[in-house]
Amino acid sequence: MPLDTSAYSLALLRVDGRRWNELRRIHAQIRTQAAADGSSYLEMGHTKVMCVVTGPSEPGPRRGTAGAGAAGASKAVAEVAVSVVVAGFSSVDRKKRGRNDKRNLELQSTIANALAASLHTHLFPHSVIQVSLHVLSQDGSLLAALINAATLACVDAGIPMTDYVVACTAGSTSTYAAGDESADPLLDLNHQEEQELPGLTVATLGESDRVAVLVCESRVQVGRLEGMLAVGVDGCKQVREILDRVVRDKGKRMVLEGTVAKGEGLEDMDLD
Amino acid sequence: MPREAEPSLNERQFILQALQENLRLDGREFDQYRPLELTFGDQYGVADVTLGKTRVLAKASAEVTVPYVDRPLDGIFNIATELSPMASPAFEVGRPTETEVLLSRLLEKTVRRSGALDTESLCLVAGQKVWSVRVDVHVLSHDGNLIDAACLAVVAALRHFRKPDTSMESGILTVYTPAEREPVALSWLHSPFCVTWSYFGDEGEIALLDATWREEQVRVGSCTISLNRHGEICQIAKLGGTPVEAVTLLQCTNTALTKVKEFSSFLDKKLAEDIKRRDKGGLMAELSAENDR
Repeated sequence: MPLDTSAYSLALLRVDGRRWNELRRIHAQIRTQAAADGSSYLEMGHTKVMCVVTGPSEPGPRRGTAGAGAAGASKAVAEVAVSVVVAGFSSVDRKKRGRNDKRNLELQSTIANALAASLHTHLFPHSVIQVSLHVLSQDGSLLAALINAATLACVDAGIPMTDYVVACTAGSTSTYAAGDESADPLLDLNHQEEQELPGLTVATLGESDRVAVLVCESRVQVGRLEGMLAVGVDGCKQVREILDRVVRDKGKRMVLEGTVAKGEGLEDMDLD
Repeated sequence: MPREAEPSLNERQFILQALQENLRLDGREFDQYRPLELTFGDQYGVADVTLGKTRVLAKASAEVTVPYVDRPLDGIFNIATELSPMASPAFEVGRPTETEVLLSRLLEKTVRRSGALDTESLCLVAGQKVWSVRVDVHVLSHDGNLIDAACLAVVAALRHFRKPDTSMESGILTVYTPAEREPVALSWLHSPFCVTWSYFGDEGEIALLDATWREEQVRVGSCTISLNRHGEICQIAKLGGTPVEAVTLLQCTNTALTKVKEFSSFLDKKLAEDIKRRDKGGLMAELSAENDR
């Protein structure tokens, strides 16, 4: 189904009615699974993912190769093992993907390496942090949603980290035709836009401009990269605000409910 | 599972400190490739790329098969990578390691998904017979920067490859042997090349091109950028690792473009030389069934 991009230039509205710099609705929850060390649920538009973190814990006798070990061989730091399970009902067509699907392995390895750079894995030698991600519904920006969910779950698990690793996608209107100067960058692509337009996924470390993950899988003019990257990095900052809000709200609620005691030095914390 | 020996703490420190002082172990500039060599085999479609001590061999082959049911008009194009224990003791037969999966995904995205080969031109009889082109990548020796070397080998092999000529007459498909008719080149649309940057330092502030295996072992992150000489990005992959400033990544992309243009002209030159070598007696123009476009 070709996307009618000609309408964009008229009203400057995208297929779902957003403007170029608008994110879709992000709804996130943490501590959704009582039994887990850390857990989260995240919706970016219609992309819905769940994450459960177990650990840091002692590695089992012999784990399978499902997780992509960021630290790999060395035992001096904790290994981040990620597994991504894509539910059969998550997209329109039920595609059976094997466990050794290369695309899936690449996703796992990307998320593991991105998290490992932010988590203070050196504090937990000889241990493993198991991150299980479940994709419940897909509507574009899958990698971004997975990274955000994994970050939230790691926050919930209380694993020390430098900053949030936050991700979002950016794209560009019109295809890779050369000399098209009127192309606008777009923020947060949905599935339809992802199919039709060039786009990239960026993950940054917190509010900085430092890029942890940059994945572009479509053909695009090199000149467009700068605009797309700028919009993506800016989007990541917005995402960080939202995720930070979620974490703080949950913390506040837990203090009010008396689940946890208010930490020292937080007397002036606003609890309304 | 055998695994690679880690560099010792001293070695690690030495490499990193030298890099802080703008020195590489082998005395290269930060954005300088090792000596690059490309040789073609006697057969069409065999390319052997040597980059320093890294050596990759790619072989293209074609056969006639039935197309996929959902794409009756498209030929089949596959890239198979094999990292055998010959290249490094850390590689095992049968079980794909993370390196191998990432390498084959990168080649797939760079060459196949960017549409370098026009798969529609491989169709012989719609829904019944198509060419299946396959490139086998063998890593003969691994001394870092497999991705760039493998990508160059694949592109070179495919551009050098000639598939048997065919004709269709009253519903009968004839495939001619090279003796009957001169084989024809694939319909090639653009040549993408990979350029891999390796990052060092706490904030990934040092960027190197064409890292050796030792350097790869101590790097904190990498970014592979695939471009063609027209300045089109085919793929970017910075899969995790220490975060790097966005501005640095943009500069890396621009440098990568100049490198890709060098690769492109290097490959064109080598292909032209090879054609001249094969064209003994200057009969090639008469034998060829290709039309000028």
